[in-house]
Amino acid sequence: MTARWLLGRVAGALPVLLGISLVLFLVIHLAPGGPMDVYADNPSVTPAALARIAEAYGLNQPLPVQYGRWLGAMVSGDWGYSIRTGRPVLTEIVERLGPTLLLGGIAMGAAFLLSVALGVVSAARTGAWPDRVIGGFTLAGLSIPVFWLALVLQLVFSVWLGWLPSGGLRTIGVEAASDRLAHIVMPATVLALATTASWSRYIRAGMITVLRQDYIRTARAKGLGETAVLLRHGLRNAIIPAVSIVALDLASVISGAVITEAIFGWPGIGSLFVQSMDGRDYPVLMGVLVMGSAAVILANIAADLAQAMLDPRVRNG
Amino acid sequence: MISRRTLLLVAGTAACVPAHRSNRNSLVVGLTYDIDTLNVYSTGFLGDVEAAVVEGLLAPDADAKYVPVLATSVPTIENGGIVPNADGGMTITYRLREGVKWHDGAPFTSADVAFTWDAVRNPAFIAESKDGSEDIAAIQTPDPLTVIVHYRKIVPGFATTLFTFGILPRHLLSGVDLNTAPYNDRPVGTGPFRVIAFKRGQYVLTERNPYYWRRDAAGRQLPYVDSLIFKIIPNSNSLLMQIRSGELDLVVATPYDQAKQMGGLEGVDLVRSPLLQWQHLDFNFRNAKLRERRVRLAIAHAIDRTAIVRALGGFPRPIQSVVVPVFDFHDPGAVMPAHDPARARAILEAAGWHLGADGVRARGAERLSFRLVVQAGKGDDELAQQVIIAQLQAIGIEAKADNRAGVAYRQARYKGDFDLLYSAWVTGADPIYSRFLGSKGTNNSLQYRNPALDTVLARMEGTLDPAARKAAAFEMQRILAEDLPTIPLTTNVAVVTKRRSLKGFTPNPTNMTPFVGAAFWRLEA
Amino acid sequence: MVDRRVAAGLGILAVITVACVFGPLLSPYRYDEQALDLLGRPLPPSPAHLLGTDELGRDALTRLLYGGRISLAVGLVGALVATAFGTAIGALAGYFGGWTDRLLMRFTDVMLSIPALPLVLVITGLVRPAPPLLVLIIAGLTWTAPARLVRAEVRGLKSRDYIAAAKVLGAGRLRILSRHVIPNTLATIAVAATLAVGSAIMLESALSFLGFGVQPPVPTWGNLLNKAGPWLVSAPWLSLPPGVLIFVTILAVSMVGDGLQRRR
Repeated sequence: MTARWLLGRVAGALPVLLGISLVLFLVIHLAPGGPMDVYADNPSVTPAALARIAEAYGLNQPLPVQYGRWLGAMVSGDWGYSIRTGRPVLTEIVERLGPTLLLGGIAMGAAFLLSVALGVVSAARTGAWPDRVIGGFTLAGLSIPVFWLALVLQLVFSVWLGWLPSGGLRTIGVEAASDRLAHIVMPATVLALATTASWSRYIRAGMITVLRQDYIRTARAKGLGETAVLLRHGLRNAIIPAVSIVALDLASVISGAVITEAIFGWPGIGSLFVQSMDGRDYPVLMGVLVMGSAAVILANIAADLAQAMLDPRVRNG
Repeated sequence: MISRRTLLLVAGTAACVPAHRSNRNSLVVGLTYDIDTLNVYSTGFLGDVEAAVVEGLLAPDADAKYVPVLATSVPTIENGGIVPNADGGMTITYRLREGVKWHDGAPFTSADVAFTWDAVRNPAFIAESKDGSEDIAAIQTPDPLTVIVHYRKIVPGFATTLFTFGILPRHLLSGVDLNTAPYNDRPVGTGPFRVIAFKRGQYVLTERNPYYWRRDAAGRQLPYVDSLIFKIIPNSNSLLMQIRSGELDLVVATPYDQAKQMGGLEGVDLVRSPLLQWQHLDFNFRNAKLRERRVRLAIAHAIDRTAIVRALGGFPRPIQSVVVPVFDFHDPGAVMPAHDPARARAILEAAGWHLGADGVRARGAERLSFRLVVQAGKGDDELAQQVIIAQLQAIGIEAKADNRAGVAYRQARYKGDFDLLYSAWVTGADPIYSRFLGSKGTNNSLQYRNPALDTVLARMEGTLDPAARKAAAFEMQRILAEDLPTIPLTTNVAVVTKRRSLKGFTPNPTNMTPFVGAAFWRLEA
Repeated sequence: MVDRRVAAGLGILAVITVACVFGPLLSPYRYDEQALDLLGRPLPPSPAHLLGTDELGRDALTRLLYGGRISLAVGLVGALVATAFGTAIGALAGYFGGWTDRLLMRFTDVMLSIPALPLVLVITGLVRPAPPLLVLIIAGLTWTAPARLVRAEVRGLKSRDYIAAAKVLGAGRLRILSRHVIPNTLATIAVAATLAVGSAIMLESALSFLGFGVQPPVPTWGNLLNKAGPWLVSAPWLSLPPGVLIFVTILAVSMVGDGLQRRR
């Protein structure tokens, strides 16, 4: 039954993915100065060579034909070549995926643990001072501009205190884990802050709803300790509504934290994206955007699946 | 002229011991841009790394004069290296250095030189620069150490391009698609350093080339340094912080707004080296208002170069001519209209441009309002732009910022999608001005057409006689000062930030960057 | 009774708005007025320039307040457009259901699944946005949240008795939608709108910070930060105030939104 449900969901997602690819394709090809203009302003590329390149890229075909070809190539794993570097788009992306996943993974992992803790404490003490302090923190976390926070952290920890390196993945030639850790602390903090704030609010709301339920009262009446009630019965059910949000945020990690990576010189997908923008490297831009969108859609399905497994009512409903 | 040595600005006192260092005899270089490819012919950047890895037949020295590298001498008419032909072309003969080896140990021969021409001119190869390849009719290689190049016409600037950029290894690239070759990541050259790792967005690691041919006066094989490590640091704050912390030894093109903040650091020298580069304000002749000379003249009078220089931290130097003062054919007599806002206002008033209620001059329905384009994100240019906007505002001309990023900017610049353009041109040691200002110039996006100038440029670029060339250059500069198609503003200096323990560093004003001299650099304790 | 947080949030917003609207008028400096003798280096705060000057000798306080006008205006108008569009889509989808709903919601899903910031960067990199276009782009990315909120609300209202009564009385569907349904979702719309204001201001400043927003010399909080960035080490007084103002403004907006949500 679950397999059929999953199949249905995947089938339902296909039109969305198709729609996304169409939107992206149109934005990039109809914008003033299509992909060919990269070559057009190079005085050493002759008109004849230009026509030849256009043919090689299929750019002399009508737009629907171009879209069909591009889609076909994309599906078969041929994402084209980067205009900037001449290398396959897939290679470019895979190369940058490592640092991005490392940073995103650490930031999201920390955010999850922290937000569960904050959410539970907050819900357990609704209205009391811990709840209000945490509420203030989450509101602030959601309101602080990440790019500014990044600058302030650099100012304090790299310039004034000199404790942390201001950017980069690691010190070249140094393999120590502590060096990697020192480099990742600030970008991960910046990335994790807003996420923690947002997630802990969802978990708090979920917990409050759950704690009003009858079975919690029953559990308490049975004499279970408050901690056990909160964690064993409360948290498990409170996380269910938060799952889809968490999944979406996790998926967005893959398209790179554009701003954080730019400020901290982190050589991930976000940096690649900014450089490709400057060079109007359309194949790379398309690759990153499509990959990011696909990740979001997959995450949606995964979230539904996870919810179904956690919550029998959804599965049978 | 001031010698380059007196330009050394000494800052700070005690030497600072660099922290975070694994090898004491390696040099860590900060690059402010993210390298696209390490192929000298397809990179969109100046090629700092490439200059330390790949060598050409000739290279410009610190005075922008050519010296032999893989060739044994610079061909001239006197030494018989250049022979003008009866059909209007010329023949250049290079003798190649003996015993030169590629990074993989294979011998370097004349076949490599001929192959380089073939590879670059191949229409399938998408290059950033194919300059010079189309002037060549044929190349003969009678023996492994002789190259005879037949040119279709007289090309005084032959040394600026093709074979100076670098020679490609035939044994590795013959039959390979240069657009996608692994060479672009791991170039193989004959230079003092060879690439051992290139991590995009992070670093390029090089080590000394064990086969390097060059020796110092004492007969010791070069280079002195064991390795050059290029760190890619596009974020300017990080650049500054890493120089402070001793993680970086050298930045050859420190952005002015960072250089302003680097003064007084311990053990760090700021070296200013002239560049063959000038900033200018261009007029687009597609715009009827700008075709009016009086408007251009008024704008020229409105510009105060000292204010621009001050805004840029005092680093650039004001200029009056498109020929930068490094060259001996710079004409000190060709002077632009002086800064005189009152005069500018009077000129516009006399031409019928009267001040409107909004502070902008108008004649009938036409307003003196222009789009001023600079490259977005280039801090120094955006700063100068705002100074220019304020100076034009003072005489009743409105200039609106219309900045574009990256390729979009280049496109606007090449296709003439601007009214006013503030930008820079960089030339080689033998500049070809017709590219920028000739009626058919590939980089003349102003659509400026002046037959008299074309004649002078043709004369200047068609002779091998230095005296005739200088006379024509002077004439060109006087025409430009009179007709004002472009206002030369400043010439840039490269601000080199280097650790004081780095010795043997010579600045290089050309587009070949100081890294052509990397073999001679050494670190002293 | 007005929620304390709503009152506090509105109060803060009022102070910032008044300062931004009237501050530049009271300032002895124009926002683009350069001081020739100060060119080159930023100056630290002094009695003449309370927040110092930037490297062109311009008064930082004047630019900060003037920049607030642009940031606030782009944020407010962007949020307004987004809320209006999102409400329309959400109401139509929620009320008509069936194919209309499925189609509109698929479209919303598509827009939600595209990584927002990268897409905006692509668009603004291609076309340099003047403020009106910037507003449209921001609205184009923020309308999905109000659309979803309103749709959910409308679906709930649809089954209520008074709607059924109006139907029985023969009122047209669009009339019911505009007269009966939408007015009853105003509270939801208000919450959605405040949230949208926050995201719009954040988006504008992020774009300007990356150099893709409003062009200099016109300041916005985002591009002031962009220009102050390289001076972080030696002139930190330029970086702090614009960030604080963005932070406080969005905080105030969120307080209002939170308070409104809690009251429902």
